Amino acid sequence: MRQTSLHDEYAASGAKVVDFHGWALPVQFAGIVQEHLHTRSEAGLFDCSHMGEFLLRGPDAIDAFDKMVYSDMKGLRIGLCRYSAILNDQGGIIDDCVALRLSDAEYYLVTNAGPLDEVNALFAGVPGVENISDATTKVDLQGPKARAILLAEGLECVRDLKYWNGLRTTWRGHDLVITRAGYTGELGYELFVPNAAGPELWRALLAHPEVAPCGLGARDTLRTEVGYPLNGEDLAPTKTPLECGMERFIAWDTEFPGKAAIAAQRDAGNHTVLTAIKTDSRRAPRHGMELKHNGEVVGVVTSGTFGPSVSFGVGLADIPKALSAPGTVLAAGPKDLMVETAGIPIYTDGTCRMKFTD
Amino acid sequence: MNPDQLKYTKDHEWIGEDGGLYVVGITAHAQDQLGDVTYVELPAVGRAVSQGDETAVVESVKAASDIYAPAGGTVAEVNGALEDKPELVNQDPYGAGWFFKLKDVDASELGGLMDAAAYAKYAAESEH
Repeated sequence: MRQTSLHDEYAASGAKVVDFHGWALPVQFAGIVQEHLHTRSEAGLFDCSHMGEFLLRGPDAIDAFDKMVYSDMKGLRIGLCRYSAILNDQGGIIDDCVALRLSDAEYYLVTNAGPLDEVNALFAGVPGVENISDATTKVDLQGPKARAILLAEGLECVRDLKYWNGLRTTWRGHDLVITRAGYTGELGYELFVPNAAGPELWRALLAHPEVAPCGLGARDTLRTEVGYPLNGEDLAPTKTPLECGMERFIAWDTEFPGKAAIAAQRDAGNHTVLTAIKTDSRRAPRHGMELKHNGEVVGVVTSGTFGPSVSFGVGLADIPKALSAPGTVLAAGPKDLMVETAGIPIYTDGTCRMKFTD
Repeated sequence: MNPDQLKYTKDHEWIGEDGGLYVVGITAHAQDQLGDVTYVELPAVGRAVSQGDETAVVESVKAASDIYAPAGGTVAEVNGALEDKPELVNQDPYGAGWFFKLKDVDASELGGLMDAAAYAKYAAESEH
């Protein structure tokens, strides 16, 4: 298994390590529920160094990227991040991604670990593209205390950094790209540094008493409670952005792979939509469970877990568009677990959009 | 760490006699593998079960697992405290985290189960 630059740090915090897309990563430290609740109330620190990062410099690189996704990346304002998806020729999702426009001619692209080789191949031969995934350590600091902690670390730049904005700076002399983004629904930041600075950053942040190390388990429960999809679970090359709840993001006035097929699907209007679901008990829906409506199989659960902040089961599911409005009652799995479609986010007290005046 | 007076199954349940009834739960190893327990479905009191029957369900953040009766009998009591505090299974698997109690157990059925030493070896091997 591959190891991140922070691998030797895990043991000091009591990590349980698992194989995730060929990477040895912590699934938990103190325990998933405890880490989850700590992130919602204080701050959690996540090693996300397995993810992919690309620098896109100059018109060729930016143009190539712009053509892979359903968004208008060329129209992105400098300093802003945009969520999108890289599509195959059928309009299916190879990977979801976030791009930050660092300057007029430079973008910072963040992708997932699973399809990284495929995404890298799409950029083959394009001038100005640099895959810095292997050289980059990514840690996410998430939770209502995150801003105060980074300010205490001397990162004055976060003071006025708004949700979904980012910039390049330095920390203790190390290059740092920082975005106010995350995968938890809480106020939080994603920090990208060269591997050589990774352990120093990890230790410095962990030294703050409000910060607890968190694993993939809590990352999964946190994101599921707020309805963020996971590539490989909820997103797949066989599913289009329309089927994955991304319809409102699509820039129809741009060109993108599979556009004609996706437009035809939109006009037909009878596709499935990735929809949040919840239970009325502590029982959780689970990935792969069939969903029945009035006794007929109509969909499938793609993500499901107990939601520690809401104390009931939460998940995401492929559901016919006609049934996807909140309040549709469905039966999940062989035991007909009662679930109900819900609005996103299910957990509504997240601090990610918090505004500051100080 | 696994109490000597209990017997253990290959599915990581334990069973032990207490005041004429047989108490059933899951082992420390099992709760550690499951992680945070979030829900326990208990059988109806009075239900008759045979050895190996699916008798309860335990859910953790990560997965749901069936709990099998280590011996046949009739469900005499269930641990209602788990409804609101399923984390007792993690905190005290051989004590407050018990699942159900059986009566009318044929003690000879326990003969095929593991003792604490055999189970400790089995659990260590099943981690690999």
